[in-house]
Amino acid sequence: MSQIADASLASATRATARARRLRVHWTDRIGNALLLVAGVALAIFLVAPMATILAKSIENRAGDFVGLANFDTYLRTPALLTSIWNSLWVSALVTAITLPLAFTFAYALTRSCMPFKALLRNLALVPILAPSLLAAISFIFWFGNQGVFKPLMGSGQIYGAPGIVISMIFATFPHALMILVTALSLTDARLYEAADSLATPAWRKFLTITVPGAKYGLISAAMVVFTYALSDFGIPKVIGGNFNMLATDIFKLVIGQQDFAKGAVVAIILLVPVAVTYVVDGYVQKRQSALLSARSVPYVPRPSRAFDAAMLAFCALLAVLMLAVLGMAIYASFVKLWPYNFSLSLDHYRMGIVDAGIFGAYLNSLKMAFWVATLGTVFIFATAYLLEKTRGIDGFRPFVRLMAVLPMGVPGMVLGLGYIFFFVRDGNPLHFLYGSLGILVINTVVHYYSSSHLTALTALKQIDAEFEAVSASLKVPFWRTFFRVTVPVCLPAVLDISRYLFVNAMTTVSAVVFLYSPNTVPASVAIVNLDEAGDIGPAAAMASLIVVTSALVCGIYFAIQRWLDRRTQAWRQS
Amino acid sequence: MAADFLELSGIRKEFGEFVALKGVSLGVRQGELVCFLGPSGCGKTTLLRIVAGLEVQSAGTIVQAGRDISRLPPMERDYGIVFQSYALFPNLDVTANVAYGLVNRRMPRARREERVRELLALVGLPDAGAKFPGQLSGGQQQRIAIARALATSPGLLLLDEPLSALDARVRVRLRGEIRALQQRLGITTILVTHDQEEALSMADRIVVMKEGAIEQIGAPSEVYLDPATPFVADFVGKTNLLPAQAAGDGRVLVGGQHFECDTRAAPGGGALRVFFRPEAVQMRGVNGSTPNSADAVIEKVEFLGAYSRVTFRLGGIDQPLYADLSVNDMSWFRLKPGDTLRVSVPPERLRVFEAP
Repeated sequence: MSQIADASLASATRATARARRLRVHWTDRIGNALLLVAGVALAIFLVAPMATILAKSIENRAGDFVGLANFDTYLRTPALLTSIWNSLWVSALVTAITLPLAFTFAYALTRSCMPFKALLRNLALVPILAPSLLAAISFIFWFGNQGVFKPLMGSGQIYGAPGIVISMIFATFPHALMILVTALSLTDARLYEAADSLATPAWRKFLTITVPGAKYGLISAAMVVFTYALSDFGIPKVIGGNFNMLATDIFKLVIGQQDFAKGAVVAIILLVPVAVTYVVDGYVQKRQSALLSARSVPYVPRPSRAFDAAMLAFCALLAVLMLAVLGMAIYASFVKLWPYNFSLSLDHYRMGIVDAGIFGAYLNSLKMAFWVATLGTVFIFATAYLLEKTRGIDGFRPFVRLMAVLPMGVPGMVLGLGYIFFFVRDGNPLHFLYGSLGILVINTVVHYYSSSHLTALTALKQIDAEFEAVSASLKVPFWRTFFRVTVPVCLPAVLDISRYLFVNAMTTVSAVVFLYSPNTVPASVAIVNLDEAGDIGPAAAMASLIVVTSALVCGIYFAIQRWLDRRTQAWRQS
Repeated sequence: MAADFLELSGIRKEFGEFVALKGVSLGVRQGELVCFLGPSGCGKTTLLRIVAGLEVQSAGTIVQAGRDISRLPPMERDYGIVFQSYALFPNLDVTANVAYGLVNRRMPRARREERVRELLALVGLPDAGAKFPGQLSGGQQQRIAIARALATSPGLLLLDEPLSALDARVRVRLRGEIRALQQRLGITTILVTHDQEEALSMADRIVVMKEGAIEQIGAPSEVYLDPATPFVADFVGKTNLLPAQAAGDGRVLVGGQHFECDTRAAPGGGALRVFFRPEAVQMRGVNGSTPNSADAVIEKVEFLGAYSRVTFRLGGIDQPLYADLSVNDMSWFRLKPGDTLRVSVPPERLRVFEAP
């Protein structure tokens, strides 16, 4: 018969050494091995290139250690200092304008009863489908030297800061909008009911309930817009004229002057503000989670004629402006010879792209986006699963977790620069990757890793934590449960990740601009090159091709999602 | 006596500074149902997860069916488990859920289907096979989870608060069903619960836990009628616990009055605590010469259906006391607040503890 026994301390300590760990089952060993491989891959394709930048920044051209000399020279170069200032004030201005616009739009979507909400929302999100430089091209056609509205500009001109700011507003608007819509949806209607019962005036409800509730969303959106503006390369490249910013400086220093050391210095300077916003945002995200309890009641807006009409007018105006930007690029891509012959033709597509031999760039982008959306999704989701749902090698996991969220704080230009530094060296056994489509794929996956990882993590956290334990008790290896249960249950999130990666692979410029070879030019980079050669018509055509492709692919994903919803309705209904 | 089917010895678990289990030892016999009972945070779920290999003990050994499983991963242990959430696979129908562990054993398809039918019949849901978990009620999901856990005929069944997500009515019905099923199969079972009624009605033996240590192991009647510590007395069932003084052999002093009882449990004398159940209080046929009797002033009468709970005071005692009266007794006495009545507690129903 058993006894209640307090094990003596001595015997407890003796047993501790023996039984701290369970023997590892061979199936778990496979999981651990896979996680190790994923971690090593992230180390090679994220940490190592970043570390190389650090190393380069403290070396001279000959590769000798020079301490902070490069930084010192940099800070004594007035032209380069101007870039820092330019980057900062342009980003701040873009944030200051985009945020109120996006907030009002989000407010209209969540708190008014205006009609056509879905349509307006989708129109406002359209810029995501285009490379950021599409806006710049479009504004050149509207306000440039030969633009439709050139006379309106008086003695001023669109090239330089004005064009950069307005293009960036267009490009960042949907990103801010998505965050703010989420933030404003997370409101407990009971707070408003309580305020109403105390006869609170509307403005006071807005200031005491709405704004504080969306506070973290606002901060988060501001950070996203600011870092986007700070690190975007396409817009200042196309419409910046002689206006220098940090992102264009890196390009010029590295590609133009082959001054790697100074390029590395700029990259590190670019990392500083981005890192700050990244840390602030991380803090904000943590605070945000506790905002809404499971028992909250969702807010349902009530119709109010004047308010709804005003909101509709505002949103419609913005949507029309968005369409005007997008539409101009598409229209211009069909115009035979701007500004002399406005008859429509396919010349820019036929002669400017196909005959000029750069249709291959479009195919490159398609190929690249395909691999990013498939292999990238598999890698990201599987790694998130291994991190979240398997056991063992506990000391290693925090590193992988950290590496998974790190890319969020790394601007594309910096990542791309790190890749050249790291992979171009002959001694590197992975040197063969340089110039291949593979490096573009890998770089893009890493560049957009963090959001995808967080999406995967959220989906994985929502499913029952004990599936793996049940499987183990039934002697079923984890991968069987992964394929039979986890993946089917998380399929909507998996599709989301894949769509996000595809669209971004189609539109990204910043990182890949350093990494393409003559055989692997992606479409977005081809636009930069066409623009540089003065072929703005074909550039518009290529940009339009990208938008149409992204839209089409989103349509396909949407159809798959619908089909999936119908097929899985039977078990998702609970 | 034959060796226990499952032997835990010196199981200790630390989470950083916090000691969740302070060296727990116990044996579970072949075929019996043992309940781990205790308030939340007492370590009962941790202990279950250690048996399952889902947590690793900081020290101590586990032997199941003569095999040391202390260091075996879950895949190499022999148990079926049902979680509070059931953890049914939402995208698989009931048949696929129940057959989940069978598919891996290269069992021929026909045999497998037969086994699933057998199990569904066993848990009383023979027609649920084509449904998805989301289409079943909580109680039905629970039974499917049990069927899945039993499918591979494990030697040990682990149930982690299996009934706590259900509403009261279903809970009471399933208690009986699970117990009947367990006895029919004769499967050794550990059930974790914080619900003392559940433990009393289902278990062969109850392990009462507190702050990472075992307070008492015993049959439900033992734990209820003869609690080993004031904690057990208080946690299991409604209790009257009074401060008392030792007053020589077989006598204690409570609120200025002597009571007779067995004082062997507290040989040291001095400050004591006296314990009795509300249903031990007698009112019929009590007079001045009845041993352990005193005049009670009725303070409150609460009607609870099958019985009524009477709150009363005894002279010299600072705290309210409780007595449970049957409907018959109630209609006989017609008690109302303010009434005075002679009550007694038979000496054999009184128990003493040394004061903490």
